[in-house]
Amino acid sequence: MDDYKFLFKVVLVGNAGVGKTCLVRRFTQGLFPPGQGATIGVDFMIKTVEVGNEKVKLQIWDTAGQERFRSITQSYYRSAHALILVYDISCQPTFDCLPDWLREIEEYASSKVLRVLVGNKIDRDDREIPTQVGEEFAERHNMYFLETSAKESDNVERLFMQIAEDLMKQARMTNVPRYDPNNYNVDPASQDSGCCSRLN
Amino acid sequence: MSEAALADSTSYADIERQCQEELKKLKVDEDTLLADLNAMLNQRTYIEDKIKGLSRLIPTLKVMKHEAEELVSTINGISESSEKISSKIRQLDSARGHVDECLVRVNDLIDLEICSQGVQQAILDLDYEKGAAHVHRFLSMDQSLLKKTANDMNNMSNMLKSVRTLQEAAAQLRAIVAHKFNEAVESEDLGSVERFFKVFPLLGMHEEGIKNFCTFLRTKVALTADKNLKSAISTSLTDKRYAIVYADTLTLLFEGLARVIDTHQPLLETYYGPGRLLSAVSILQQECDKQVKRVVQEWSKTRQIQKKIQQISEHSRITSSASGSKLEKSDPKDLDILIGEISLMHFRCELYIKFIERKALADMEIGISEAEQKNKLSKVLEQLILNSELSQSKHELLSHYLRLEQYFMEESVAKAVNIDTVELSFQTSSMVDDTFFIVRKCIRRSISTGSLDGICVTINNACRVLENDYCDVLKARLKQGYPSGYLDLTQAYNVLQNSIQQGRLQPGDTEQSRTAFIVALNNADSSTEYITALVDSIIKEIEGACPNMNSKERGKLESCLSGISAVSARLAEVIEYGIQQLKSTAIKPRINPWMDTFLNFSHQLTEDELSAYEAGESFVQTLIMNLETLLSSFRDILTSNNYDHFIKVLTLEVTQRFEKVVMKTQFNRLGGLVLDKEVRSLAGYITSGTYWSARDQFARLTQIATILNFDQIEEINDYWGNADDAITWRLTPTEVKTVLNLRSDFRSEDIKRLRL
Repeated sequence: MDDYKFLFKVVLVGNAGVGKTCLVRRFTQGLFPPGQGATIGVDFMIKTVEVGNEKVKLQIWDTAGQERFRSITQSYYRSAHALILVYDISCQPTFDCLPDWLREIEEYASSKVLRVLVGNKIDRDDREIPTQVGEEFAERHNMYFLETSAKESDNVERLFMQIAEDLMKQARMTNVPRYDPNNYNVDPASQDSGCCSRLN
Repeated sequence: MSEAALADSTSYADIERQCQEELKKLKVDEDTLLADLNAMLNQRTYIEDKIKGLSRLIPTLKVMKHEAEELVSTINGISESSEKISSKIRQLDSARGHVDECLVRVNDLIDLEICSQGVQQAILDLDYEKGAAHVHRFLSMDQSLLKKTANDMNNMSNMLKSVRTLQEAAAQLRAIVAHKFNEAVESEDLGSVERFFKVFPLLGMHEEGIKNFCTFLRTKVALTADKNLKSAISTSLTDKRYAIVYADTLTLLFEGLARVIDTHQPLLETYYGPGRLLSAVSILQQECDKQVKRVVQEWSKTRQIQKKIQQISEHSRITSSASGSKLEKSDPKDLDILIGEISLMHFRCELYIKFIERKALADMEIGISEAEQKNKLSKVLEQLILNSELSQSKHELLSHYLRLEQYFMEESVAKAVNIDTVELSFQTSSMVDDTFFIVRKCIRRSISTGSLDGICVTINNACRVLENDYCDVLKARLKQGYPSGYLDLTQAYNVLQNSIQQGRLQPGDTEQSRTAFIVALNNADSSTEYITALVDSIIKEIEGACPNMNSKERGKLESCLSGISAVSARLAEVIEYGIQQLKSTAIKPRINPWMDTFLNFSHQLTEDELSAYEAGESFVQTLIMNLETLLSSFRDILTSNNYDHFIKVLTLEVTQRFEKVVMKTQFNRLGGLVLDKEVRSLAGYITSGTYWSARDQFARLTQIATILNFDQIEEINDYWGNADDAITWRLTPTEVKTVLNLRSDFRSEDIKRLRL
């Protein structure tokens, strides 16, 4: 029925209004719906992409940025293979909140999760955070960095494809049988059966 | 020359024969021609008759043609005249239309006159319904047509006067009705309120009417809500419903609102027409929002929600940083009732929102025909609900619920693990039952909130608690290891003496840690079954609680549920780890010496020795007895799955070791026979104690015994390659030869010569 070999969960987080839903919509449906309402709880989309002749199913969890949904959104971090942390390049406060988000990721997500920092809305001409500042922040925290525009469809495809490729690479590495009964270490990213599990 | 003549003569003969044939053919042709000619001659008279008959018809045809032409011209005439008639009818039709229009205008004029006279009288008589009916009649006239009529008429001043009267009367009535309505509201005169509510639409004041009326209803709702909240606040601690009094208050509020909508909808539909419920609902929603906010605020204050949430988050921060300091902790038991109340409150909000949506959409379906307008209005409804205080409060409640439920689950499971006890006759301990009871309870409670997001999050949290907290405990207990038994009594005695002297070990410690190990292993196994049962039951319950999930919601739920199977995988790893522990401490150290005694028995036997061997206590009898002692000590204490698993591992050890000692032994024919019997009885013993067949695990060993049991080397050919009795060999040709070499009576040159 489903002919994909890998299933990855990608979770988007970041302040309200930075464009998480628009990024997801742009990638999964090719749309940029203006006047998007605030997301309630979590939304869930699926897109199957092809990486080097292999079908990869991306399960994308679009979370609400508003504080009152935090107890919902946090529960999805644990099973995530990749976390996309989004800010708005034209809105300083969304950038200032990044350390808080990182703390939350640290607390709830697996230590092996792939973390990506995304500065969205580069189509706007009232930029407040220079590219270099974002880049430095990402480097300091050991994250990938990319600037996007969901509106102009800049780098959106690249963002998700890059993630799919990286996760594939990771999955292939950890898929090597490596059972050692006397020294088994808990490795949530690879033992989680939902994770990188080869289906079929 | 003579040859040529001969050739000529044959050719002449040929030619002659051909001529003869041609002639014969021509004769046949001539005969047929003659026959044809005769037939034609015979037909001649018949054909001539026909021709005569036809020529007689000609004059008749001429007449027919003439008549047909006349018919055509007649039809043309008729069609022309009917064309003329129909155009006249059309004229008549349009004339009648004009007459109708005229009649309407005349009627309007007459009514205008009547209305303008009647309206004044009605106002004087205080008969507002009648007056409004006149105005309604006036408003239903085509105002532009009235103007046109006025232009066409001589006594237009008269008519204009009527129009003016009516317009004034309408304005007057509007003012009066609005005023009277307010008066009625102030004097709480419900009859008058409804009376004037019905008059509004006659005066074309639909929106004002709905607004005024619903504002009136709001005050009613507010009054009751106020009373209910006050009584909730003053409810005494001893009251039976104290624990859920705020949920009750919310329920009363929503029920009251729903009743208001239900009772007034028919009134609204009759006097205002369908499709106007949304306006009414949006006004009532303002009151709903106000009251919900008050109830939730009061609730939050009384139940000290902020304080509890803060305690919880501080607690989790401290435990995650592992500083280990003792903090005032809320007892999960105390939170239990509060969590129940929140889930009930949330469910009530959810239910009321669904009620409004259903009502308003059904009303739109009947009242509004254009798809575009309908779409627009349903968007308005969506926004109304989304931006309502009610939704915000609902989200807040869910957020509180999830924080508290998560804490409750974590703490309760931790407690279940802490107070874990083993009952003598049980294979598992109390933590399994307790933990799954708690997890199930939490998930069921999340289902009762009516929120799919709430359910998904609680499932996610359950997965985390089970996979980390719960499995980790089991794993840690298995890590303690299974204390190995002692090989003989003296050794055991010595070790024990030493340990007791050094104060390291209390007598009975070993027994205790053995039990702990076995119970943990059993716990992991029965947890796997609990998980399957848990998933089955919650899927059913969710289907029941949310029957109309769309594909996206279903996908979300399924993805979260798949997290539970990850727990099963983790449990399987824990079990495997435990069994491997058992193997290294309980199986290997015992099996090896038992198997090694095989080497003490000679397998190069004479007939007499064979009889003596079979009469005495043989190797395999002792082995089976030892195995039986070992297995019986595990048979009843392990769950059947674990016991099976245990035997599998044991069988593998036994067969591998057996093979090793066989390879170190020399056999003669009778020795091979003994070995074959020994292998058979061992396989038989192990198979008898399991649900699966051990034959496969014994395949190599059986084949080795078969080879060693040969009379002659050549027998191998009966079993090898394409022979009739060929079997699937688990031994390589080299191995077969090595085994053959164990037979002291087989010559190695003969073995070398074998072609396998």
